Amino acid sequence: MDIYDVLLRDFPFLLKGLGVALVLLALLLVMGFILGLAICLIQLYGPRSRFIQWPLIAYERVFRGIPIIIMLFIFYYGMSGLLDITSFGAAVLALGFRSSAYQSQIFRSAFQSVPAGQMMAARAMGMSKLKAIRHILFPQAARHAIGPWTNEFSSEIKETSLAYVIGVVELTRQAHYIITSTQGNVLTVFAVVALLYFIVNRAGNSALYAFERKLAVPGFEK
Amino acid sequence: MSESLILDVRNVTKRYDSLEVLKGITLGLKKGETKVVIGPSGSGKSTLLRCINHLTTPDSGEIYLDGEEIRDANINAMRARMGFVFQDFNLFSHLNVLDNVRICQMKVKGADKKAATHRTEQELARVGLEEKAGAYPAELSGGQQQRVSIARALAMDPVVLLFDEPTSALDPELTGEVVRVMQQLAADGMTMVVVTHEMSFARQAADEIIFMENGHIVEQGSPDAMFTSANNERTRAFLNVIADHG
Repeated sequence: MDIYDVLLRDFPFLLKGLGVALVLLALLLVMGFILGLAICLIQLYGPRSRFIQWPLIAYERVFRGIPIIIMLFIFYYGMSGLLDITSFGAAVLALGFRSSAYQSQIFRSAFQSVPAGQMMAARAMGMSKLKAIRHILFPQAARHAIGPWTNEFSSEIKETSLAYVIGVVELTRQAHYIITSTQGNVLTVFAVVALLYFIVNRAGNSALYAFERKLAVPGFEK
Repeated sequence: MSESLILDVRNVTKRYDSLEVLKGITLGLKKGETKVVIGPSGSGKSTLLRCINHLTTPDSGEIYLDGEEIRDANINAMRARMGFVFQDFNLFSHLNVLDNVRICQMKVKGADKKAATHRTEQELARVGLEEKAGAYPAELSGGQQQRVSIARALAMDPVVLLFDEPTSALDPELTGEVVRVMQQLAADGMTMVVVTHEMSFARQAADEIIFMENGHIVEQGSPDAMFTSANNERTRAFLNVIADHG
């Protein structure tokens, strides 16, 4: 059996792995979004007390300062002593928390680039802080956030392949299985895998770019 | 006494670190009055305006809107009844003109879309910008943006309108259109506090002119009294300088 027959036979497994990677990606991005946005809003508009602000700063520094593989090991091997966690679950948590740290930075920068006068005008008209954030600041911040967020998206697609090290059967691990069972043609298999990641990355980027254009406000150069 | 005053400001002070910006300001407005606050930079006039609607929190003193004291607890409700026009317009840049004027009617006062749209069209017509309803702020001139911002404030049915140097950021040829709108508002009986350098407006529309310097009210009086025979030497000096430079 030559490599092309092997690929044909095993392509469904690669797709299955890709599916797992995409689900992992979606979950970690959503977790990162919700947590990241919450952290950002508390840091910018929440209580100034250091008991609230300092833990958030520490959280951000820790999750951005530790290698992903170590994080995966901590959540999987470290936590399995405490509670029953699957490798997939550990991957979602580790990558999700990490993404939330990066996303909170993206959102913070985006909100800070909205001119201060916008919040002032909204409050001067009787809007509560929450309403002002929701109706006036968030729509404007979103436009500033898309560019950096697209970068984060690209990073995370590639980082899902690291879940391999704790045994998640995503795309990279499927490729590994194929290679060990056929014992050769490593380059071809990984080339196909690389192509799959590349396609997902490009598709995602195009979609985000189209979204950015849709949100653009007439009259604004940027 | 305070029941007859729409806006009652008592002994407001404000300091930033060691700098005392407001040293005890007291003023009152009856319904329909227009008071213009003038003075050199650093006199505290903008700070005073921002203290009235608590955009800047006063250190001491009380402020009453239509008999009710303005506190942190009721600040949003109070602000919904006070219009504020900024020097830099501060229109919501992601919304077109129609939505700019509509949004707070709907989200703060709970008006339904139809009622809000109707009211918006009325106020836009009042400031002469009905045909610009679909435009975005970045597509408008400064004078147009400021007029939209006035319409936005009016659409909330304010009890008093506060203007913070509304024409200072405008090119000279654009100030006229904004001043005309303000003069018409004053003539229509709107209660207004205007911080400005536009002396033509002060002379024509003000019921009283208040001259501030160094955080104090130095002198106040009717436009005639102030412009022709002000009592205080500093007032006369300031007004003479303004007159010379037109």
